[in-house]
Amino acid sequence: MSPEAVLLKPKLSPTEHGARLFFLACAVVALGQMFLIMLFLFKESLGLFTSGTSLKEFFFSVNWYPTYDSPEFGSLALVVGSLTVTFFSTVLAAPIGLSLAVFLACLAGRTTREWVKPAVEMMAGIPSVVLGFVGLVVVAPLMQDILDIPTGLNVLNASVILALMAVPSIASLGEDALSAVPGEIQDASYALGATKWETIWRITVPAAMSGLSTAVILGLGRALGETLVVLMVAGGAAQIPHSIFDSVRPLTATLAAEMGETAIDSPHYHALFALGTILFLLTLAFNLLAYWLGRYWRRR
Amino acid sequence: MVDDGPIISARNVDFFYGSFHALKGINLDMAKNEVTALIGPSGCGKSTFLKLLNRMNDFVPGARLSGEILISGRSVYGPDSDPVSIRRLVGMVFQRPNPFPKSIYDNICYGPRLVGVKKKCDLDIVVEKALLAAALWEDVKDKLGKSALELSGGQQQRVCIARALALNPDILLMDEPTSALDPIATAKVEEWIKSAGLSIVIVTHNMQQAARVSDHTAFFYMGELVEFGPTMEIFTRPREVRTENYITGRFG
Amino acid sequence: MFLSGVTLADRQKREFLALSLIKILGLSFLFVMGTLVIYLIYQGAGIISWDFLTQFPRDSMTAGGIWPAVVGTFGLAVGSMFVSLPLGFGAAVYLAEYARPGPLLTVIRLGVNNLAGVPSVVFGLFGLAIFVGFLGFGRSLLSGCLTLGILTLPTVTAAAEEALRQTPASFREAALALGANRWQAIRQVILPAALPGMLTGAILALGRAAGETAPVIFTASAAFTMANPESVFSEVMALPTHIFNLATNGTHIEATRPQQFGTCLVLMVLVLGLSLIAIILRARLRKGRKW
Repeated sequence: MSPEAVLLKPKLSPTEHGARLFFLACAVVALGQMFLIMLFLFKESLGLFTSGTSLKEFFFSVNWYPTYDSPEFGSLALVVGSLTVTFFSTVLAAPIGLSLAVFLACLAGRTTREWVKPAVEMMAGIPSVVLGFVGLVVVAPLMQDILDIPTGLNVLNASVILALMAVPSIASLGEDALSAVPGEIQDASYALGATKWETIWRITVPAAMSGLSTAVILGLGRALGETLVVLMVAGGAAQIPHSIFDSVRPLTATLAAEMGETAIDSPHYHALFALGTILFLLTLAFNLLAYWLGRYWRRR
Repeated sequence: MVDDGPIISARNVDFFYGSFHALKGINLDMAKNEVTALIGPSGCGKSTFLKLLNRMNDFVPGARLSGEILISGRSVYGPDSDPVSIRRLVGMVFQRPNPFPKSIYDNICYGPRLVGVKKKCDLDIVVEKALLAAALWEDVKDKLGKSALELSGGQQQRVCIARALALNPDILLMDEPTSALDPIATAKVEEWIKSAGLSIVIVTHNMQQAARVSDHTAFFYMGELVEFGPTMEIFTRPREVRTENYITGRFG
Repeated sequence: MFLSGVTLADRQKREFLALSLIKILGLSFLFVMGTLVIYLIYQGAGIISWDFLTQFPRDSMTAGGIWPAVVGTFGLAVGSMFVSLPLGFGAAVYLAEYARPGPLLTVIRLGVNNLAGVPSVVFGLFGLAIFVGFLGFGRSLLSGCLTLGILTLPTVTAAAEEALRQTPASFREAALALGANRWQAIRQVILPAALPGMLTGAILALGRAAGETAPVIFTASAAFTMANPESVFSEVMALPTHIFNLATNGTHIEATRPQQFGTCLVLMVLVLGLSLIAIILRARLRKGRKW
């Protein structure tokens, strides 16, 4: 600021002051929650490590036996379970969701788009417990019969249902990103003799990469944090899976299944909060990844 | 390719957007290696006609065409012609510079790569030739890897010209190519048009520009081709009253 | 000038394959989801009746209706809005109208965005620790509403801020130029213009609150109650938890299948109906907007 510049500051009336303070307070509370959540998670987690479980055991042991006489709280199998279903659901959901996004943004006629886009948005709102229920009563028996495997409640089933949940949000966000690409550069591509697909693949998709990568990562984050689906259809076995037909017990499912039957302030209770902290940090990491990836592609 | 015939000829072209009759009975022959300007008030059909030449109107819903357009003797809308190969022969430069968000080099290579040119040495030659032809080589030869979006507006527009030239088109269409540029950049683009020695069709709302750069001028009004002839004649002794009114600024 | 390495026919073949694959993937997803919804309607429609909606469960839940779950879900969803709407709208007004771009705004915005991505089960843990335990509200309607309220807060805030930002700056400037102070401009001009957009976000949040399960299990829910809640400190049933309990924990999992499908259908109609309303509202808003 140059030295002769005068800071313009309007005089505020009392109501004006009051209103401003009120709105600021709301914003601070909204944000403060984030810190409160972190604070409580950390605080409640700490109890685990003062009651005999070492950090090393918690992070690197695969033994999760919370109700044994001498309980063991190793989170590795649960973390691996979460990451496994997240990975496979993304492998399924990303190509389908992005295809649907391209279909809506670049291929569908105006009328089709006007009807299908809201339908896809509504699908994103289907409660997870309903989809979990479908996985439990429809997909699991079907899978068991067709593939002749001991249980239909496994990584594959959970990944399929999670993908069904993630596809609509990937498609909806992806469509927004693709539609935002200026028509002018697509026209330029056509004018240079590109086919529709060449224009989509070489121009539209790269230009929308920032939004598309965000869409996929947010879908991934959603799969990671989703609780009911994995609680109902992942099978619930706390083990490192060896195939997609093995059962797993993701972090969220463990929390939902065990929190109800745990005495407050017991080591088990604290261990569950420690799992919550891991989950929180993982989602935070995914959010930051989405943010950075978005910026990275925008800068390119 | 027919050597001495007109490079573009339009025969009884009528064009509709839905029920709107945008072009009415257009007949026109344009000569090879000349600059033809299309002038007329807004909405007169000059841009519509330009976009018919490389089938960019195909994307408009409810567009209908009757009559025939030939480019280098090939029917543009014939049963065995397709938009992709037509656009390969007919380059286009748009109103606002629209470089891809890629490097200058990748912008120029876009067209050649589409048709399967992959070798770096071939592409290097293409890029240099195209940029030389667009009079941009000296400005950018040291920063080919930079994003085309970092250039000035005038340079961006010349990247777009070079990008079109890289495909070695028979004709270059220019849709008000200087309307988004400052006077100095405009002068450079105009200079390039005059000296290019290519078959160019340019749409412009700026009559001085038409007079400066073109060999022939076509005046469109309300979807009709009112008058077409050597630019000198159109601007000095127009045959039609409507042409005279327009170029003397009595409407438009 | 140069030899082209690819023929047009090759390129068109590639185009056909790529676009076909995209269409097949996209359309088959729509087909699967459509089939699924129709299947749920087909399976659930049989049991739906006035009695099913308005009676208490009987005979270990194998008969009777889902009335307490309907009441509970209604109470939880509407109650949570008493938390998230005032706070979310207030925060949005601050972000859109008062905050100057700077580190504070960046931190708040990042925080709100991050909260939107935090899994609902983590909100459930938080609610359990702070409302059920620390503040001593126990498992109750109140704890559930507070938890769902902060869960939906980021959604409400983001949608409201977006709606406020879409009101043109000229409205604000015109009001200020006429001598209104900032608060008057907000109250008389900006809020009325942005309100429909803010409400759209609120309806979506309402749907989300109605469909949430895990946080409700932690903070509010009973598997079975014989009476409707007497106060905000009563435990309540809810539609999503009812489905979950019947399908996984019940003593008569097979015998209550019709109830499970019926409850699924009721919940879906409720949640999708709310999002349909929001979508229609938004579409009308866009069409009716004169600016």
